[in-house]
Amino acid sequence: MTTLHPTSLAGSTTNYLTHSRGVLSWVFTLDHKRIGIMYLISILGSFLLGGIFALLVRTELLLPGEQFLTQDQYNKAFTLHGAIMVFLVIVPSIPAALGNFVLPIMLGAKDVAFPRLNLGSYYLWVIGAVMAVMAMLNGGVDTGWTFYAPYSTEEMREGVIWVALAVFILGFSSVFTGMNFIVTIHRLRPPGMTWFRMPLFLWSLYATAIIQVLATPVLGITVLLLIVERVMRIGIFDPALGGDPVLFQHFFWFYSHPAVYIMILPSMGIISELISIHSRKHIFGYKFIAFSSVAIAIFSFLVWGHHMFTSGQSALMNAVFSAITFSVAIPSAVKVFNWLATLYKGSIALNTPMLYSLSYLFIFAIGGLTGLFLGTLSTDVHLHDTYFVVAHFHYVMMGSALLAFIAGIHHWWPKMTGRMYNETLGRIGCLIVFVGFNLTFFPQFILGSKGMPRRYHDYTGPGWSEELTSLFHILHALSTIGSYLMAAGFFLTAYYLIHSLFKGERAPANPWGGRSLEWQCSSPPPHDNFAKAPTVGDCYDFTPLEYVPEEKGYRWREDVPRPGSG
Amino acid sequence: MSLTPLPTLLAQSAEGPVATRDLENDSLWMPNPASTVAGDIDWMFNAIYWLSLFFFVLIVGVMGWFVVKYRRRSPDEKAASAITHNTPLEITWTVIPLLLSIAIFYVGLEGYVRLREVPANAYQVNVEGYKWAWNFEHRNGATSTGWVRVPAGRPVQFTMTSTDVIHSFYIPAFRVKKDVVPGRYTTLWFQADEPGLYQAFCAEYCGSAHSQMTAVIEVLPPEEFDRQIADDAAWLDKVDEDDASAMALAGQRLYARCQSCHSVDGSRLAGPSYWETHDLLVEGGEREMADGSRVTVDINYIRSSILDPGEHIVATYANAMPSFQGQLDEKAIRAIHIFLEELDTLYDRDGNRLAE
Repeated sequence: MTTLHPTSLAGSTTNYLTHSRGVLSWVFTLDHKRIGIMYLISILGSFLLGGIFALLVRTELLLPGEQFLTQDQYNKAFTLHGAIMVFLVIVPSIPAALGNFVLPIMLGAKDVAFPRLNLGSYYLWVIGAVMAVMAMLNGGVDTGWTFYAPYSTEEMREGVIWVALAVFILGFSSVFTGMNFIVTIHRLRPPGMTWFRMPLFLWSLYATAIIQVLATPVLGITVLLLIVERVMRIGIFDPALGGDPVLFQHFFWFYSHPAVYIMILPSMGIISELISIHSRKHIFGYKFIAFSSVAIAIFSFLVWGHHMFTSGQSALMNAVFSAITFSVAIPSAVKVFNWLATLYKGSIALNTPMLYSLSYLFIFAIGGLTGLFLGTLSTDVHLHDTYFVVAHFHYVMMGSALLAFIAGIHHWWPKMTGRMYNETLGRIGCLIVFVGFNLTFFPQFILGSKGMPRRYHDYTGPGWSEELTSLFHILHALSTIGSYLMAAGFFLTAYYLIHSLFKGERAPANPWGGRSLEWQCSSPPPHDNFAKAPTVGDCYDFTPLEYVPEEKGYRWREDVPRPGSG
Repeated sequence: MSLTPLPTLLAQSAEGPVATRDLENDSLWMPNPASTVAGDIDWMFNAIYWLSLFFFVLIVGVMGWFVVKYRRRSPDEKAASAITHNTPLEITWTVIPLLLSIAIFYVGLEGYVRLREVPANAYQVNVEGYKWAWNFEHRNGATSTGWVRVPAGRPVQFTMTSTDVIHSFYIPAFRVKKDVVPGRYTTLWFQADEPGLYQAFCAEYCGSAHSQMTAVIEVLPPEEFDRQIADDAAWLDKVDEDDASAMALAGQRLYARCQSCHSVDGSRLAGPSYWETHDLLVEGGEREMADGSRVTVDINYIRSSILDPGEHIVATYANAMPSFQGQLDEKAIRAIHIFLEELDTLYDRDGNRLAE
């Protein structure tokens, strides 16, 4: 089989961006790459909105006493922050934006299995997002992103119905994307792309898609029940109507704990790719990493009760959930050790995607290890619902999942846009974000273990311990300063990325020396991804690639035969 | 009879910040281990902490070492190894975390079981959570809000329920926490040996004044506790109804139940400031309601607002107040009425208590 030389494509034909022009060509596009880009822009817009609310919350907490948000405004601000970041940013970030763009190309397919469904998922997401944000801005919702009953079913909280409906719609978007990915991976693998030749990012997206399809309907049912109770006054969760409020927590976490893995699994896939490619070294323990993704997906359904250790559920249930919770620690630890082993004797490039990946290792280690304190029954009773939990899940969901998303954006930016960003600014931005992140969230561990409960508008007042107020003040102030630093880092990142669109150097087909199939097509890829069927080999064997200085990129060595050509 | 001196009276509510013992003998991570179970829990915390620190230093140390040692010096530099896997090594680093996890789980379970087993003959207190305060009721009839007295050196059990949404009772220094759920009882126990004041919080988000739903735990030496709690049970009966200033002070003591929503410094909380109500009471004004009607502010309005708060919703406010039916008797309501009338003899407009 003959293959096209990667560089011979560059500049020769149109790419997916120039393939057709005009707004309508985007609005009605069925191209997974364009849909991915539309997701990316929408999700980054949501990230900005959720980030602004985070800064409002942090600023209110800078000093004890009321600063500029009343109690009710504060409660709405943290609800907006949490709901936007979870439902509109982190859950769809890697699968819907990067996954959509990268998955079919990595697999060697022309598109996903159901392109129309894919566009439909995007518009469902848009409808859900607009509904949620409108409902939350118009009058506001102050229930927290968890919507615990019976607080959320009290009569004055009208907005809850709309947000619940929005979550229901967003759930369908998520289910459709998951189904699409599962079918694509099963049916559209080209000859040679066996399961164990798939890049690990695809394994993680596959495991994620299974959770999306199986868990999200439970969330849909739960919010529908919430609406039924609100509208028809049928007692499901509200004890005043004969319902059980703890039942809501079971339903909610039956989705929302697997959802944590919807957020973290794709990030593990990205890190597996990036660490290997930017070290030019074969990923260590491919099968262990692949199976650990599937193991995490399975365990994720069995641990929801660990959110409810203090809810009054029986000691036996607590014991069982605690035990299963620890089982998730094993595959996570296996991945970390495999990544470290991948670095061993590698050729480690300290470029922006790799710096984010190394930050991920640092932050995920803390996020994962602090999970041990929360999975352990006796210590969780003290730490539950305090800032220790807030810090823990920000280390996992923001410092890990979201920074991996940023790492992935940097890694595939040349492929998506055809431009290189300013590498120096990229490294500085990563450093600022890393320092800002740790300054924001590390003090929150101590806040929590010293007793500061979460979702508190204030930390002084009648009946407040003076000693605790003064200690909490110092830690809150550090955290707020950190959040400003982190915001500065993100603004710098936004600046150089946007700048690169206009002034950035043209990207070569393969700037990092990757071997997965997306690096075989031009940057940006052509409309149909591949002019000719790509050749599939071991995507972690980098030895046949050599650096070409005049291209500032890598290409196949002339003296090495391509797989399948002999 | 003469009134109990003011400081003693007010020791049943917290008008401002309180000096507590939460940060005595604390460590970098944990507050004062002030209950009998705290030592065990802190031991577990420290064990996981040192184990985590070991693995964290290992991971980041190895990462840093590799990054420095194997960093790419020229774009074409290749990896010095082509190794793809090593099954014995991988099985090793799967099994070691597995064994450690089982160990941590087991020790944590043991500690938890000790936390759940209530010793016999614990001193019983009924606790009721509502937006946004805690009521405590002792078996001898003594009640208090936002402040509870308990004996030192003896197990204490709280039997808790909520009248509205889910709350959670949390005492950091005692390492105990339990959700307080409407429509059912949950329990929590502790034993504190060192007398003093300790902080309690509401840990489950419950709305506007969640962060003000605090309580102070006052641990008293046993003899002092017995004396004090007997007095607490009878204090309102001993107040002379004909003595307006004594009734006003009694109302001030009862105000602990109201303070998370009604201010005495004029600020707007979940309900109207008591200064507004005071002015309308004294000057004989009417108040505009959410449904557009106007209601004269007098003792009957005060009474119905306490017993049936949904009857009159003040314009611009939400229907958020629970009923105090069965908690406040007629004498208590009259005391609160007099407290509102005499508010200007007790506080200035900024909420500072006036000297006697």
